[in-house]
Amino acid sequence: MSQRVRVAITGIGMVTPIGNTTAETWAGLRAGKSGAGPITIFDASGFSTRIGAEVKGFDFENAIADRKLLKLASRSHRFALNAAEQAFADAGIRPTAADAERWGFVVGAGMMGVSYEELESVHRHAAADGEFNPDGLLSPDYPADPIAFCRTQTNTGLSLLTKNFGIRGYATAVHTACSSGGQALGTALKVMRRGNVDAMIAGGFDSMLNPIGLSGFCLLGALSTDNDTPERASRPFDGTRNGFVLGEGAAFLVLEKWESARARGAMIYAELAGDGNSLSCYRITDTPPDGDGPIQAICQSLADARLKPEDIDYVNAHGTSTMMNDRSECVALGAVMGDHLPNFAVSSSKSCMGHLIAAAGAAEAAVCALAIRDGIAPVNANFATPDPQCSNINLVTGQSRPMRIRAALSNSLGFGGSNSSLTFRHPDFVEA
Amino acid sequence: MSNSPRIAITGSGAVCGAGLTVEKIWAAVINGQSAVTPITQWDAARWPVKVAAGVNGVKNQELVEDRKLHKSISRTDIFGIYAGGEAIKSSGIPSHRETLDAAMVPHFNDRSGLVVGSGGGTYSSNYEYFPLMTESGGDMRKFGAELGSSVNPMWLLKNLPNNVLCHVGIRHMFKGTNACITNQCAGGVLAVAEAAESLRTDEADRIAAVGHDTPIEPETVFGYHKLGLLSRDVLRPFDRTRSGTIFGEGAAAVMLEKFDNAQARKATILGEFLGHGCVTEAMGVVDLRPDGDGPARAIALALLDAGITTADVGMIVAHGNGTPASDASEAKGILCAFGGNPPPVTAFKWCVGHLLAASGILDLVLAIEALRHGVVPGVPTLNEVAAEFSSLPVSRDPQRPRSDVALVLCRGFGGMNVALVVRAAKP
Repeated sequence: MSQRVRVAITGIGMVTPIGNTTAETWAGLRAGKSGAGPITIFDASGFSTRIGAEVKGFDFENAIADRKLLKLASRSHRFALNAAEQAFADAGIRPTAADAERWGFVVGAGMMGVSYEELESVHRHAAADGEFNPDGLLSPDYPADPIAFCRTQTNTGLSLLTKNFGIRGYATAVHTACSSGGQALGTALKVMRRGNVDAMIAGGFDSMLNPIGLSGFCLLGALSTDNDTPERASRPFDGTRNGFVLGEGAAFLVLEKWESARARGAMIYAELAGDGNSLSCYRITDTPPDGDGPIQAICQSLADARLKPEDIDYVNAHGTSTMMNDRSECVALGAVMGDHLPNFAVSSSKSCMGHLIAAAGAAEAAVCALAIRDGIAPVNANFATPDPQCSNINLVTGQSRPMRIRAALSNSLGFGGSNSSLTFRHPDFVEA
Repeated sequence: MSNSPRIAITGSGAVCGAGLTVEKIWAAVINGQSAVTPITQWDAARWPVKVAAGVNGVKNQELVEDRKLHKSISRTDIFGIYAGGEAIKSSGIPSHRETLDAAMVPHFNDRSGLVVGSGGGTYSSNYEYFPLMTESGGDMRKFGAELGSSVNPMWLLKNLPNNVLCHVGIRHMFKGTNACITNQCAGGVLAVAEAAESLRTDEADRIAAVGHDTPIEPETVFGYHKLGLLSRDVLRPFDRTRSGTIFGEGAAAVMLEKFDNAQARKATILGEFLGHGCVTEAMGVVDLRPDGDGPARAIALALLDAGITTADVGMIVAHGNGTPASDASEAKGILCAFGGNPPPVTAFKWCVGHLLAASGILDLVLAIEALRHGVVPGVPTLNEVAAEFSSLPVSRDPQRPRSDVALVLCRGFGGMNVALVVRAAKP
């Protein structure tokens, strides 16, 4: 298998709660800036959690040039279209009519298709008394808008993205809750290695910052209720952490064959070197306290990248800031990395960006690539109180840490028990 | 792919309006019995579309015994968990695992993968919020404050698109590589393709693929109707008078294993997975290219992947959803890919309805049955093949497959086109 296709990351696009571009997001992460604040998109004042990490100042009407296509795009689709456009612009390459069949697309797509306004419309016409009466949809005043229906299909995001960028090869969408973005990149790596396409764009998008999405997490008690100190609410690995902060956004990475990227003189951020993937088979919302599941994903990712624990200099943790998840991840890292544990830096980007759910793994993959390029392990913001059960890791506290990163790991552990671990390598390390 | 391992299909399972077992569903197809009946999910008496191939009169406990679990999953998950379980059980893998040394079991489980094509969710899942919306009368503050006393705390978990992945995993301890594909109709077939690739690249030794969906709900029926995609009475694939598709619901699943492993444990091998091709036409959500570009390219890629030529294909299970635009472009794509001389063509949605994310994988399960029985089932709702593709060898009467290889086509929103190639084992 020495002839295996090597995959280069040559473009990054991001729309996140701390910046509407990759540069802004990366600057915010290095500075430990928080994207959290009171929710402004709707009146969340009655909810147990009234804070979130919203994308701010995003120009929804000009997310992409194609106005007709935009009509079919929901809030999170617009983040996705814009982030993908950024990624292509950054890479300096995009599909053409001649090579469209050799480009592929993989997205980690959010689970929420229907906007609250659309749900209100159904409620008004077919369930005004609280009980759904299907015949209400047949009433002449119900706005039977095919565009609204098309906007809410499971693969609408993928459909709009492939159309907008003219990609005609392998295209798919995955959803494994919080690990969707990581699995999207892992899938893209596999599709490229097996030669189905020559180049890909992969990433994720999500927005659950609406009354229904927020409700879902409030009902589960998964969110931090630190409503008075939103910027401190997400504090992964801190002893006082009490839940995650719901974020939104999109991130996409352009992937090319290493030799093709080199041949055209492209700037290579990093190699997407390994993918590991497992199911915890434990409980739907919890990761096992003994790290079973995440352990296998991390081991496989390293093996797939043909690396050893001592090759890793930085781990971008899943680090949601929930009590059990962070502990389980620390146990898993300890089990896999053993004696090497003190020698690599760990931080969670969720300390700044909040949890981008289906986009989280993609955004954090982008962070790994940026960290490798610039030689900076971004800070794990808001850490103040140690948790004895998370103190085995070398957390980047206080400020970001300049350091050479030969290889990095990004973990995503989702509801439903899907664990994804991706490995990235510095170009110099690859070509050494 | 000469140096990649051969892939055996060692189990299958399915549930849809035509039955709760592969045998029952096959019997309905071969006997010309359509499962299309009046919609029972709601009173559709005043609806423009009143029919679907629903799974009617079946209690959830018949499919998934664990009643506690029913509280935290939805109807589509019941189908997926059931069909996935049937495929895994029928492969004999769980009983094989019991014969292993206990120390070997964790590794065995880590090498057992699972890929699910999920419909992604339903519109009606959000209706649990309607009483709260009425009560709060547009006052979001009130909505938030009264949330906990109105909505099931498990609401989010009940509606996760990856529930089948989670619960089939837990029930059968398949802990290896996994994915949940939410690519509308292409979900189930892409689950099979990705599952097969996991064996080829040695990420797993055995892997189950499942597809499940439940589109028979008011908003989906209404939306498809407004787009002009639904028939009011009969699904007539490739017919001159075809008027649209008809929804079905349910799930289907296959168990894939490395061929050598399957032989070594003396498993019953139903068939062999040979290859896949996946493309998009990049036309947006619902539009299709009229020239059949997508199906033609998907077929070519799948045959290349399988290492065979058009002459080796014995039969084609078309997507054949019965809509004017899809059937016409699909027929053109098939004729183009096969140089005007395709093997016998059939389609199954006239019987089982269109199961969206589960449609293609159910077609795959039935294609294996067809090959094993040596018959290409006829399409009893077909009266006259449309003139513009009259050379398409689709027939009202059963035909004979030219070989033991079938090509299965699946199309979906987003211009998705997927082709799978499978060889049946001799029964």
